[in-house]
Amino acid sequence: MSNKTKPIVIIVLAVALAAVIAVYGSRKSVPASETASKSTIEANSGGGHVRGNASAPVTLVEFGDYQCPSCGYYHPIVDELLRRYPEKVKLEFHHYPLIQMHPHALAAAMAVEAAGDQGKYWEMHDLVYTHQREWSAMPNPESEFLAFAAQLGLDANKFMRSVKSTDVEKRILEDIQRGSNLKVGGTPSFFINGRSVDPLPDGVDKFAKIVDDALQTPNQATK
Amino acid sequence: MKQRATAIAVVAFLGMVDALYLTVMRGVHIPCSVTGGCNEVLTSSYSEVFGIPLSAIGLVFYVTIFSLAVLHAFEVAPLMRWVFWLALPAFAISLVLLWLQGFVIHHFCQYCLASASFVTAIFLISIWPTRRQQIQN
Repeated sequence: MSNKTKPIVIIVLAVALAAVIAVYGSRKSVPASETASKSTIEANSGGGHVRGNASAPVTLVEFGDYQCPSCGYYHPIVDELLRRYPEKVKLEFHHYPLIQMHPHALAAAMAVEAAGDQGKYWEMHDLVYTHQREWSAMPNPESEFLAFAAQLGLDANKFMRSVKSTDVEKRILEDIQRGSNLKVGGTPSFFINGRSVDPLPDGVDKFAKIVDDALQTPNQATK
Repeated sequence: MKQRATAIAVVAFLGMVDALYLTVMRGVHIPCSVTGGCNEVLTSSYSEVFGIPLSAIGLVFYVTIFSLAVLHAFEVAPLMRWVFWLALPAFAISLVLLWLQGFVIHHFCQYCLASASFVTAIFLISIWPTRRQQIQN
């Protein structure tokens, strides 16, 4: 091999090796801590929207932003937890739109709250999370939210009135205030029976382990 | 000179892996156990320029630096000056991105911090011969 072809071969091989390492790393999830940290942050439950058995011993409080990719990642995980523990776990969802970073997060939260005014809060919550990538990329996703409302059989005029109502805005602001009081730094932020889940578990099984731990310490039940 | 080029090639290779990983993981939830703010940083409006992800721009930078360093090491052409002139703006951009993470986004991304370290290392290694020549003079 000549002295001029050698460096070319090295460059090509190095780029290929870097690609292999990067792709391998992207497919391998980094193991997260298996249990919730002993964070001193505590959150009493209350307010927000509750999904699951209202008298469940474990309350999973989530502060979420509909435009945040990590929240979208955790949405099916939380759903799976509710399926695995239908009697033992309930979700209490609070809006925490990070408006500075996600320009459509507030509009999405208002659309979900507005759907709640017609009894379809969780149906809209699921639709908005499931189609997060599509509407996030739109310059103005309002038409998409209207399409979701139509898909759910909501009264379009009533929906639009709710979206623009001060009542809906007030409920979201109350959630944001609640999150700020708890020093919620990012989204999603989870609390299990008042204890902050930090770091976030990677995958449903690790999350389920934290729920199992909470079930074994019933005295920590949320006030 | 050859040792410096080799050192730059090694650092650029690490940068290539980092930038490739971020490019492959674009739009996907990314593990972030050290700094915790990767997803906030990588989905912010500062993560792309005219629709091009910064990680892709970084990848082009690292491949170019790696190629220049390898060609220099094999004495195909004296290319260290080009490494310096590419590393200088990259170093300045890294400082701006660091400031954005700390004071605008209020989150840090461990992969971005690693990339900033690689750029800094490349820049420092590239200016080293110049400094030594000045001392000798």
